[in-house]
Amino acid sequence: MIEVKNLTKQYGTHTAISDLNFTVNAGEIVGFLGPNGAGKTTTMNIMTGFIAATRGDVAIDGQDIIAEPEKAKQQIGYMPDTPPVYGDMRVDEYLGFVADIKKVPRGDRKHMLHQIKAQVQILDVSRRLIKNLSRGYRQRVGLAQAMVGNPRVIIMDEPTIGLDPKQIIEMRDVVKSLGKKHTVMLSSHIMQEVSAVCDRVIIINRGNIVAQGTPKELSASLTKAEGMNQLRVKATSEAARAALKDFTVIRHVEISASDEPGTVDLQLAGESGADIREAIFRAFAKHNLPILSMRSMDLSLEEVFLKLTGDRRTS
Amino acid sequence: MTAIYKKELRAYFTQMVGYAFLAFMLLLVGMFFIFVNIFPSSGNFGSTLANAGILFFILVPILTMRLFSEETRHRTDQLLFTSPLTVAQIVVGKFLAAFSLFVIGVGATVLFPLIMRRYAIDGLPTSQIVGSYIGFILVGAACIAVGMFISVLTDNQIIAAVATFAAIYAMFIMESIAMTMPISAAASLVFVAALILAVAAIWYYSTRHWISSAMLAVLGLGAAVGLYFYDNLIYDAIIVRALLWFSIYTRFHVLSHGVLNLADLVYYFSFAALFVYLTMNIIEKRKWR
Repeated sequence: MIEVKNLTKQYGTHTAISDLNFTVNAGEIVGFLGPNGAGKTTTMNIMTGFIAATRGDVAIDGQDIIAEPEKAKQQIGYMPDTPPVYGDMRVDEYLGFVADIKKVPRGDRKHMLHQIKAQVQILDVSRRLIKNLSRGYRQRVGLAQAMVGNPRVIIMDEPTIGLDPKQIIEMRDVVKSLGKKHTVMLSSHIMQEVSAVCDRVIIINRGNIVAQGTPKELSASLTKAEGMNQLRVKATSEAARAALKDFTVIRHVEISASDEPGTVDLQLAGESGADIREAIFRAFAKHNLPILSMRSMDLSLEEVFLKLTGDRRTS
Repeated sequence: MTAIYKKELRAYFTQMVGYAFLAFMLLLVGMFFIFVNIFPSSGNFGSTLANAGILFFILVPILTMRLFSEETRHRTDQLLFTSPLTVAQIVVGKFLAAFSLFVIGVGATVLFPLIMRRYAIDGLPTSQIVGSYIGFILVGAACIAVGMFISVLTDNQIIAAVATFAAIYAMFIMESIAMTMPISAAASLVFVAALILAVAAIWYYSTRHWISSAMLAVLGLGAAVGLYFYDNLIYDAIIVRALLWFSIYTRFHVLSHGVLNLADLVYYFSFAALFVYLTMNIIEKRKWR
C-alpha cells in the first residue's frame, strides 16, 4: 500500500533522514517510533507530499507522490502533529471545507461527516468555534479531518501528544477501529503506545531505520541475544560462587545480596545467547543449593527501544 | 478552487478584516469625493479615484497580509498542500477572493457618481469615469498580486503588511526614482550585465549545476556586449525603461482620461499574472528546500 524507497532528505548539509526503505501493507497499523528529532515528521511530511525528498520515492497504492500528486493525495488522510484547523471556523464548517478540498461528492457528504464525528466523538461540539475547543477536542477534529473522504491510508504524526491519560486511551481505541478499514501509520516517541495498537513497529534513529518487526519479534530478538537469567538461591554468596566454579559456559556472573534473609540474587548469562537454564539447575542441585526462583529477563519493548536509540557513537 | 475561494471570502468577514477594509476604503473615497468633487463642484469622479488610488499602499496590505502568512503560522498550509488540490488552484483561489472583496468595495463607490448624476446640469464626463474605474480595478489587481507574493514569503502578518506597504509605495514613486537613473549606453550595459549575472546566480542557487550556470553567464554577457557594439541604441535609457515597467500608476493616468488601449490592459494582466505565477513558484520551490 505504501512503498518507501531509498528516501533521503537533506536540509543544506544536515541529513534529516538517509536511505529509508520500508513498506506498509494494506490493512496494517504500523508504528513509526523514534526519539524526538529522529526524522519521523520529515518522513511523514514527505510521504504526504508536503515536502519533497532529496532522493528516493514514495508510492501510495502504486502512485508516486511527486509524479501523480493529485491521485496519490486523494488516497491519504494526514494528521500532522499540530492539528491543521482554522480557529474561527465552526467544527461543521471546517469539516465541510475539508470535504470540499478533498472533492467528496455532495450526496455522500452529510452521512459521511456524521459517521466520522460519531467515531471520534465530536458530535457534541459540532456547532462550536474550533478556537474555543480544548486540546483533546482539537486533536480529534484534526483526526476527523484526516478521515474525511475515506482515504485508504491514514498517516498520523504523534496523535496522542498533549492529551491526558483518559484521552490517550480513547485515541488508541479510535486508532484501533481505524485499522479495520484503513491502512494506518502513526508516529510516536512512546513505546507503550505503539506496542498497544500497532501490528508492526519501525524504529528510527538519527534518520536511519534501526529495527523493524512485530512488537513480539523485536523484544524476542534482543532478549535472545542477551540470554540473561535472574535467580534467587538459598545460599551464601561464597557457596553460590563455589557452585558455579566448574561451570564454564557462563559469560556473565553478578551476585548481590537479596532482601530475603539467607538468600542471594544472581544474574547469569550464557555464551552468546546459549540456553543455560538446565545447566544452572544441575550445578546448584549438585551442591545441594535450592533455587527459589529463576526467570529469563525479557527486555521490555521500552528497553529495546532505549537500547536501539541510545547514543550509538559510544558503541 | 471554489472551495478555497469561498473559504477565503468567508474568512474576511469572520475576522473583521473584510469590514475594516470596506469601511476604510469607503471612508477614503468619501473624503476625496468631498474635497475633489463637492467643494470645487467638479463632476469628474475620475480624479477622486485617481487620488484614492495612491492610497493602495494602505488598502492592499489589509487585504493580502493574511493570505498565506496566516496559513503558515497556524500550520494549516499542511492541510492545503497535502490535499488533492494543485498549488495553482490554491493560489488563484486566494487571489480571486482578495480581488473580489476589492471589487465589492469599488462597486459600493459607484453610488457617488450616481448621486452626482442626479444634480449635474451638463452631465458627467462618463468616459473618464469609466476609464478611471477600469484603471482603479486593474491597478488594484496588480497590487493584490504583489501583496499575495509578499505574504507567501513570511509567516508574520505584520512583516507582510509592512513589506507590501513599502513595495506598493515604491511602485507609486517609481517614476521619480527612474528619472534619477543614468541613461548612457555604458551604464545600461553595466545594468544588463548585472541582471544577467543575477539570473545566472539564481539558476545556480536553484539547480546547483555550475557548468550550466557558468554557460548562462558567459553566453548572456557575450550576447549583451555583442549587441552593444552592433546597435547600442537598444541600450538607450534601459534602466529607466526597466524601472518604469514597475510604475503601475503611469498607465492609470492614461486610462483616467478615458483612453482605453489594449496594450495597457495587457500590461496590467501580465503584471498580476507574473506575481501570481511567482507565488506558485515560491510554494513549489519551498517543497524542495
